[in-house]
Amino acid sequence: MLERRLYFHIDWLLIAAVFALCAIGLATIYSATGGPTNVYWTQIYAIGLGLGAMLACMAIDYRSLGDKSHLIYLAVILTLVGVLFFGAVRGGSRRWIDLGSFNIQPSEFAKATVALVLAKMLGESRRRALTNNDLLFAGILTAVPLLLIARQPDLGTAVTLIPILLTITYVAGMPVRYLGILALVAALAAPVAYQFGLQDYQRERISTFLDPEQDPRGAGYQQIQARITVGSGGVWGKGFMEGTQGQLRFLPVAHNDFIFSVLAEEQGFAGVVVALGLYLFVILRSIEAARLAKDRLGAYLVLGVLASFTFQVVYNITMSAGLVPVKGLTLPLMSYGGSSMIATLAGFGLILNVRMRRFTN
Amino acid sequence: MAIAEDRRRLATRLWWLRVSVMLVFGLLAGVFWFLQVGQHAKFQEMAENNHQRTLALRAPRGVIYDRTGQVLVENRSAFNISIVREHTRDLDRTVRLLARITGIDEARVRDTVDRHKREPSYRPIVIVHDATLDQVAAVTARRLDFELPDVVVQEVPTRQYPSEGLAAHLIGYVGEASDQQVVDDSLPPGTIVGQSGVERVYNRTLMGEDGARRVVVNSVGREIRELEEVPPSEGHRIQLSINYAMQRAAEDAFRAYGYWGAAVVLDPRSGDVLTLTSLPAYDPNDFSTGIDRATWASLNTDKLRPLQNRAIQGRYSPGSTFKIVVAAAALEEGVVTPDHKIYCPGGANFYGRYFKCHLAGGHGYVDMRHALEKSCNVFFYTLGNMLGVDRLYEYSQKLGLAGKSGVDLPSEIESIVPSTEWKRQRTGEKWYAGETISVAIGQGQLSVTPMSLAVMMATIANGGTRVVPRLVTAIDDGSGTGWQPVPPPANPFRPLLMKPETVSALHDGLWMAVNAAGTAGRARIAGRDVSGKTGTAQVISNQGKARAGATEKDLRDHGWFVFFAPRDNPELAGVVFAEHSEHGYLAAPIARHIMETYFAQKDGLPLPGPPQPPPAAPVPAPVAPSRVAANTAAFDR
Repeated sequence: MLERRLYFHIDWLLIAAVFALCAIGLATIYSATGGPTNVYWTQIYAIGLGLGAMLACMAIDYRSLGDKSHLIYLAVILTLVGVLFFGAVRGGSRRWIDLGSFNIQPSEFAKATVALVLAKMLGESRRRALTNNDLLFAGILTAVPLLLIARQPDLGTAVTLIPILLTITYVAGMPVRYLGILALVAALAAPVAYQFGLQDYQRERISTFLDPEQDPRGAGYQQIQARITVGSGGVWGKGFMEGTQGQLRFLPVAHNDFIFSVLAEEQGFAGVVVALGLYLFVILRSIEAARLAKDRLGAYLVLGVLASFTFQVVYNITMSAGLVPVKGLTLPLMSYGGSSMIATLAGFGLILNVRMRRFTN
Repeated sequence: MAIAEDRRRLATRLWWLRVSVMLVFGLLAGVFWFLQVGQHAKFQEMAENNHQRTLALRAPRGVIYDRTGQVLVENRSAFNISIVREHTRDLDRTVRLLARITGIDEARVRDTVDRHKREPSYRPIVIVHDATLDQVAAVTARRLDFELPDVVVQEVPTRQYPSEGLAAHLIGYVGEASDQQVVDDSLPPGTIVGQSGVERVYNRTLMGEDGARRVVVNSVGREIRELEEVPPSEGHRIQLSINYAMQRAAEDAFRAYGYWGAAVVLDPRSGDVLTLTSLPAYDPNDFSTGIDRATWASLNTDKLRPLQNRAIQGRYSPGSTFKIVVAAAALEEGVVTPDHKIYCPGGANFYGRYFKCHLAGGHGYVDMRHALEKSCNVFFYTLGNMLGVDRLYEYSQKLGLAGKSGVDLPSEIESIVPSTEWKRQRTGEKWYAGETISVAIGQGQLSVTPMSLAVMMATIANGGTRVVPRLVTAIDDGSGTGWQPVPPPANPFRPLLMKPETVSALHDGLWMAVNAAGTAGRARIAGRDVSGKTGTAQVISNQGKARAGATEKDLRDHGWFVFFAPRDNPELAGVVFAEHSEHGYLAAPIARHIMETYFAQKDGLPLPGPPQPPPAAPVPAPVAPSRVAANTAAFDR
């Protein structure tokens, strides 16, 4: 299926940037966990599997994937429902499917699926303009997996579906005033949601975010430690495996949620600039892929995948600096996490797929 | 057309997306610049505080030796279990868990924590002093499981005092500085300082300087590696004037004869305190690891008052021992010559009242020497009457019986010898000459400490130089110069320099009391020319005794024996006070055992074993309270 002609249109620069980020992440995990531990090796396998997933997603024409998007969507929804009933419980939430030697987190794969189904639906619409019904339907398609994931509960991952919806509807021509109305509604609904929609621990996270010193040993601890970790790195950092905050475990889950803090501590502002630059390059390059896409399906698919990626990157990096409430959102490409790595690389497979097929019929 | 428009709109919106992304990333870079470059110094310091700990290394206190080089007090290693609240996430849980695994009452742990609540949180709060190995093992195991990251086990040097409370009052004990001491001496809270005895007076010398260790710890407080160590410097070593063998002999003898009481033996030439004991004693080891409330309470409420240092804090009527002062005053003032004889018919009238002598038939004609030997009351009534109370007071002071001795121990109380001035100030009444008669034989308003009687005997023994007793003779500050002698304390007293005939009369009379037909034959040591005088201190008047009847309080009289030896060029002078022994002659054998020990040691002979108690004790031995070292246990140093 991968014709020789397509081979020349593969975006090697994007691939290089993506794997450079994987490599930086891997090195930081090595440092944060103190050597070639299980975590480190698992991450290497995940990158390998992710590469496979990426190739698989490149190989199949995204248009035939679009044709089967409803089936893929249904399959993911069913899996999510299954997780709610039969999933493995860890840390109080039911997110994983236990496959013996490893676990899969289906919610990670829901993102690309939602992007695909929305791109298909809005990209191949015959109508000239986007109707309110289209928007409603797109909203429902997003809301179903979102609610299922939120039920696990995994609010962090659930929320990443919203940027997909917003970005695709935005480029699909949703009037800008809708975005304004949405922002207004969100601002008004926030206090109500805070009061009635959130769990106690979530409320606590938000209130300690606003004043971390009120509980420096408890919920505010991670935030304060994150800032110390980043700030103590300085311009050039403390050096590879020389960080005190990550190495001595003042920062919790350093190899996971706070991988970027460890990078900032050990490699300093210089390392931060390099990593930020790579992420920015990857994002802009992908937007370019959307611009070049042959059809709307391709462009929307690219942007949908990119939206959740970008949201997660920005949120996680901001959290690494202790500037937003701590939420279990990993940093795509760098954080430890098999499902996330595989799903993200698969997503980039789709983006590459769209770009390299821009000349095919 | 539609497609082109579509394309254009897509391109515009993509442009907006691109711009927003670039803005967001620019903002992020700015944030990191601000944190990592702008505020780097602040966070750098916070990170260091996070992972670096400074742990105090307690300095061992100086070792205390006796004058012969025997170690009296040394240090041993003990383990303290403390909470460092800095690492505490849930203090309640820590307290509960710690109480459970160490087997200590939870309320007590909470109490200790509350008491130190206001100290900085990095300072460890010691919960268990001198923990048992079981407790240490239990805590260490929990720490390894990260269960108690805020609990530390520290090895600390702890005072090791001689067993059985030997010389307890003199050495004293250590304890945590009180709030007042923390303020007065600007010490960190929790510092161990001397709270009594030599430990307190020489606290600064003995204390040493704590060291510190800077270490890297991880987030659960476990030590990863050491950054630097400033070793503690040990306190200065101190040599006491105390002679261990004599001190031991004194305490053995008290126990063998079944009395509580006090003994002080001085070197009359220098004022060195060779022996200073007070019984019953307490065990200072109970204090060095933080005394528990029950022990403290029982020590405080004990009727026998084991915390009181009877030698300098107990005040008793001197009885007949005061006759030595009367004799010295009369001879020095020229009221009588040594050979002047006075007739004793068994009693005499003074100011319309009849005063009895203790020998019903009377002593007949007695001179100074025989009056001292026989302790004739009539002789001393007469001298006292001739001298008047103010001259008795003056000589008491010159000989060292009135006021404080000035020994380097805390909380010494004054010995009281009355004078007209004293009475006027105290009661506003004038002194009646008749009162002097009682004072002349050591009754009445007299009230003296054993220490002051010992000083008086030293003055008599050395011919008139009042010495200031002192306990510390040399200090080794560890600088390599070895033992540096401590200069004797400045002597504020003018020497009395008694006439030779006064001295020889007093020495003869006191020698005869022991070696001729006197009351103190039990102190006799062949060839040592022990000189001395017994005395009986009334606890309550005879009429009062009859009134009190069968109350539980022990109202039996106390026995005194004051002594020096040898008669010519004395090397020892001292006092034995035997509580409720009823007769002074029963205190004499205790003094004899101390002196025998001294002479045996001096001549390089084997020391005499503990004295055998008399077959039928004249007085039932007081019952030892549980806190007081029992008199059966062997000394096991």
